[in-house]
Amino acid sequence: MKIGKNEFKLEKRTSLSGWQATSIAVLAVLMTLFLFGFIFLQAGISPGMAYREIFSYAFANKHGLPLTLNRFIFLLFTTYAFILPARAGLWNIGMTGQMYAGALSAFAVLYAFGAQQSKSLELSAGLVIPLMVLASMLGGLVIGAIAGYFKGKFDTNEIVLTMMLNFILFWLVSFMIKEGGLFMNPGGRGESFELPPSVYAPLIGGVPFTGLVAVLIGFALEFLFDRTQLGYQIKAFGKSPRAARYAGIDTFKIPFMVFLLGGAIAGLAGYHYFAAVPGVYKIARNYGQFGDLAFYGIICGLISQSNPLASMPVALLFGGLSIGGRFVQGKLHMAFGVDYALLGVLMITLVAFQFFYRYRIVRVSLDEEDGHA
Amino acid sequence: MTQEEKSQPVLSARGITKRFPGVVANDGIDFDIRPGEIHAILGENGAGKTTLMNILFGLYQPDEGEIYIHGEKVEFKSPLDAIEHGIGMVHQHRKLVEAHTVLENIVLGHPHAGTILNLRRAEQEVRKLCEEYGFKVDFRAKVWQLSEGEKQMVEILKALYRGAKILILDEPTSALTPVETRLLLDSVQAMAKKDLAIVPFITHKLPIVLEISDRVTVLRKGKVVARLETRHATEKSLAREMVGRDVLFRVERQEVEPGKPVLEVEDLVVQSDKGFLAVEGVSFTIREGEIFGLAGVSGNGQQELVEALAGLRKPVSGRIVLDGVDVTHLPPLERWKTGLGYIPADRIHMGSIGDFTLVENVLLNYYFDQEYNRGGILDYRKARQMTEQLIEEFNVATPGPDVLGRNLSGGNLQKVILARVLSRRPRLVIADLPSQGLDVGATEFVRNKLVEAKVNGAAVLLISEDLDEILDISDWVAPIYEGRFMGIVPAAEAEREKIGVMMAGYNAEGVAQ
Ligand SMILES: Nc1ncnc2c1ncn2[C@@H]1O[C@H](COP(=O)(O)OP(=O)(O)OP(=O)(O)O)[C@@H](O)[C@H]1O
Ligand SMILES: [Mg+2]
Repeated sequence: MKIGKNEFKLEKRTSLSGWQATSIAVLAVLMTLFLFGFIFLQAGISPGMAYREIFSYAFANKHGLPLTLNRFIFLLFTTYAFILPARAGLWNIGMTGQMYAGALSAFAVLYAFGAQQSKSLELSAGLVIPLMVLASMLGGLVIGAIAGYFKGKFDTNEIVLTMMLNFILFWLVSFMIKEGGLFMNPGGRGESFELPPSVYAPLIGGVPFTGLVAVLIGFALEFLFDRTQLGYQIKAFGKSPRAARYAGIDTFKIPFMVFLLGGAIAGLAGYHYFAAVPGVYKIARNYGQFGDLAFYGIICGLISQSNPLASMPVALLFGGLSIGGRFVQGKLHMAFGVDYALLGVLMITLVAFQFFYRYRIVRVSLDEEDGHA
Repeated sequence: MTQEEKSQPVLSARGITKRFPGVVANDGIDFDIRPGEIHAILGENGAGKTTLMNILFGLYQPDEGEIYIHGEKVEFKSPLDAIEHGIGMVHQHRKLVEAHTVLENIVLGHPHAGTILNLRRAEQEVRKLCEEYGFKVDFRAKVWQLSEGEKQMVEILKALYRGAKILILDEPTSALTPVETRLLLDSVQAMAKKDLAIVPFITHKLPIVLEISDRVTVLRKGKVVARLETRHATEKSLAREMVGRDVLFRVERQEVEPGKPVLEVEDLVVQSDKGFLAVEGVSFTIREGEIFGLAGVSGNGQQELVEALAGLRKPVSGRIVLDGVDVTHLPPLERWKTGLGYIPADRIHMGSIGDFTLVENVLLNYYFDQEYNRGGILDYRKARQMTEQLIEEFNVATPGPDVLGRNLSGGNLQKVILARVLSRRPRLVIADLPSQGLDVGATEFVRNKLVEAKVNGAAVLLISEDLDEILDISDWVAPIYEGRFMGIVPAAEAEREKIGVMMAGYNAEGVAQ
């Protein structure tokens, strides 16, 4: 392409630093905002105003910010669930099912303590909350382990398998909370019984403690990949299963472990959203929406190049845009779902910008060349 | 074609320069290829040969310099442009689709593949090419079932089928058997004569260069240091140009008293991927201080035997005892811990990980080691020191230990793998084609290293298709033919002719088996 005295060429990158990857992602976000501005213009709304509303509600409003943070935490767990297998070269798209399994398991603990009988039951928080957290991890772990087992043992396609598990778990949740289900709300309404206030998750500065857990897991994963033997084996397997096998890395254990661990973390997302977010405290009838939101873990994981620390700002941005988008939609009476539309455009732009992870544009000054090419 | 056209270079490069972080791989290179000539490019590992070829093929863009074809300046943005101009390239590392058949590989990716729906017609055309140049290969076989030599032919056929008039072969013989090499050279000569196909040729095997090339260009550290007519060159003079000093072509043989058995193999039977028995009951013992040379044309069961020994392939029956431990049913890791050291033939896909740094690549054989792994935490600092030490000791040309494996030249990557395995001081060294792709200096170095390992009490199993390599350093030579040993011959009785005959399926008495 020629512009004035310069010619621009695409060249394959020989290397990409973390810093370059980050700046590409930032550019992609700016590009998204620019493109989406046209959609606002189309609807007769000033983009500047709309973005100010979105960002100030999502990140600087005392009602909006907690919502953003809760989504951020949820997304972070599901992103990790993607990243762990991704580092081993495997695709986990079963975070939705694993998340549901986590939610069901947490509620099973409550059920065992008789919590569906009475909302005002006094339970020992110090005992029941840890049990719920553990159960949610265990639930996600089992679902993840099923996928990991078949992958490791029979090299089954993990995408198909995790997808199928998603369907099964979706219907299982429905079965459990609808009329006649074990977890049904005594008042009917097609949702689960509510959490007794005695076991509401403790808040740290207004945010459920799961936020701290999510950030800590991020650092733990970073440490896992960077320093540990298991992390090394996961990376080796992910980059070359043949070389890994040559080096004596267990080609059953690695797929099994990453799905198992990833599932356990996805299970935490289920605990977080249905049992720790203020104002929810039940498996609501629209639980399917959170299943859809869980899929954004895949996008966050891809954008952050499976780097657990880099995934934090990405998940925060996604969480904020979805909350802020929903807010302006209501406030400005827009006719479409701004939140998912915005996430959609962001996703497409980011994926398109992945191109620049592999290529870069170089400028050749035409003065130096002798003309004919 | 007139006389004038004939002498004009078909391809010229002027002032080609290419820099990578930390190295100048090509530094102002000029050279010409004339029609019908076989032009060898020589140079030590890392001298910049592959980089230059990649530039001529449009895989890399040069930072400086120009390329002319028939006197006309060209600019290759991608290999497609180069193919369009009649350039074909066979890479140092094969790039075929393993799961596809030979014919599919040849036809797929053809610029006109869309219009060639007729596989049968394509088959006829390819068959004609085969006859013309003397290639023999089963079109319906899947690529993963082929030997290295066959894969090589497929690569060449693919290039020819795309209409290549200038064929670039990067290290074409490094993984080939002598027989396959012979066939390839004949075909190359046929091509040079018949089609006026011009064949720049890169190789570390000096006798081959002397035999078939017309001219030689020698690179050292990215610069052209010599251009000569082959008839004025000798093996010694070429080696001197490459390395910058005299190279001895001899490895010091050292006799040591053999110790106790390290590897005992009893009646081992192994199946191949294709389902037949590739190893049909072999028994042998290698003791401390012995080098056991497995001589044979590739595809006679060597690969399967080695994989069974390394734990990568389940034997059908038989027993493998390593250092007194029955490892027949143990996984690879347990064997490494028992003292296995395995240098695989496939350095790109098995021996290393391209996206790993050299430190991480070295860790492939150390991540399980007590000294590098404390309570599940890897000691990367120590691994880095070790890598630096190996780079130094094995003379690996690289900017440093944090470079990615795929950015190393072929020979230098091989050195890293060798260094890593040998540094473990394994009880049993399995060296599968250890000197493939290494330059003369490095080959000499590696053979000395294997001898050193043996002197230090290791048992060495050497697999090579280069009979000279085997005869030079082995204490025992076992010619393998169709999955059986034709005998196990002590070095003193292993004459070249005799072993050669045995490799073709005759026993020591010359009776066909
Ligand atoms: N993509 C790359 N990125 C960085 N450095 C590279 C890259 N490709 C090659 N190099 C470096 O350039 C130098 C020349 O490499 P090249 O592969 O051309 O050597 P070669 O002559 O083919 O060696 P060999 O005989 O070992 O195959 C080496 O030092 C290598 O490390
Ligand atoms: Mg090379």
